[in-house]
Amino acid sequence: MAIAIAAACLTGAPGAQGQTKAKPAPRAANGKPDLSGIWIATGALRLMAGEAEVAAARQSDIDEGRPTPRTEPPPYKPEAEKQRQYFLDRRGIDDPMARCLISGVPRISFRPLPFQILQMADQMVFLYETHHAFRVIPTDGRPHPEDMEPSYLGDSVAHWEGDTLVVDVTGFNTKTWLIGVGTVHSENLRVTERYTRDSYNTIRYQATMDDPDVFTKPWNAEEIFRLRPGERIREYECIENNEDLQRIEKLLQNESVFKRPSN
Amino acid sequence: MRTLSCSVYRNGLTPLLCILLGTSVLSAHHSFAAQYDADKPITLTGTVVRIEWTNPHFHFYVDVKDEKGAVTQWTFEGYPPNMLVRQGWKKDVSLKPGMTVTVQGWRARVEPNLVAAREVTFADGSKLTSGPPAGTGGQ
Repeated sequence: MAIAIAAACLTGAPGAQGQTKAKPAPRAANGKPDLSGIWIATGALRLMAGEAEVAAARQSDIDEGRPTPRTEPPPYKPEAEKQRQYFLDRRGIDDPMARCLISGVPRISFRPLPFQILQMADQMVFLYETHHAFRVIPTDGRPHPEDMEPSYLGDSVAHWEGDTLVVDVTGFNTKTWLIGVGTVHSENLRVTERYTRDSYNTIRYQATMDDPDVFTKPWNAEEIFRLRPGERIREYECIENNEDLQRIEKLLQNESVFKRPSN
Repeated sequence: MRTLSCSVYRNGLTPLLCILLGTSVLSAHHSFAAQYDADKPITLTGTVVRIEWTNPHFHFYVDVKDEKGAVTQWTFEGYPPNMLVRQGWKKDVSLKPGMTVTVQGWRARVEPNLVAAREVTFADGSKLTSGPPAGTGGQ
């Protein structure tokens, strides 16, 4: 499998990059790109909309010369990597989301449900269908509040660097995973998100996760968010009938049932 | 096992961007791999008994007859309503008690008659996606 994917990477046709001019991003009254709209991560599009839409999205990136997003392996220190491997060996049974806890940043942006951005002159509001969560992000230059409590989504403030919205997120608790299974972090986590609406249909997203307690260097992740015209944010409720909770308790009584076989 | 991947892109673009990716961002079912076994695919046909249109997963119960005529009730779990409607499902219309359906999915690791339902095929041959593909638990 790994070899096949690697071969596809190495032999993939270069494509005719940059041949199509993308429809430009709309602008807000202050001249900044307007990020307003309903978006979904490309990686999540397959579940929500199917392979055909993913293929169309990939093709538009090639046509419009958009760089491929890349996510590095997490540069964990040995002790944190050991923790991650522990969770991987347990096949994600410890996932906070399975217990209906809110995903943090940036994981919440990668979930297979859309989110809506509402842009105003002095703040941005992010409405996530996942967990029915929201973030209110001031863009008026104010600092983080002094009375922050550690939280799942942390506290966000943002500013513009050219056409890129830069969001500084801090004040996290340690009850979330950063992206994938077992991607632990400490309360010293600081995430810098960059949102660049580089065309009408796309936002290039970069997240830099800086946590000297667990990483040897900041961890960078990238994604492309796709505009979803006609979509709306629907209700998401998690605890109503979460049979996962009882099932997980039962599984935990016999770890050999779900743990990866040791080599 | 760590796999070599090109983030969400596998074809085209430059090989330099193919990277070692140690995380999964795609799993949709909470801890799918711990609860279900991707190596145990199953396809069953039977009569729908009951539907729970609930969060965070919907469930439906199907009576399945074996070759000797003995009936076993199977539980199927799938997407929550907000995802189902995006796959074309309609509450109380798409799936109703009494319907004959064929369901493809993966068996649970512990519960003998529980399945993560990927796709439902209806009597007229039409199909609806009912849940995510099998997860691997991170890698």
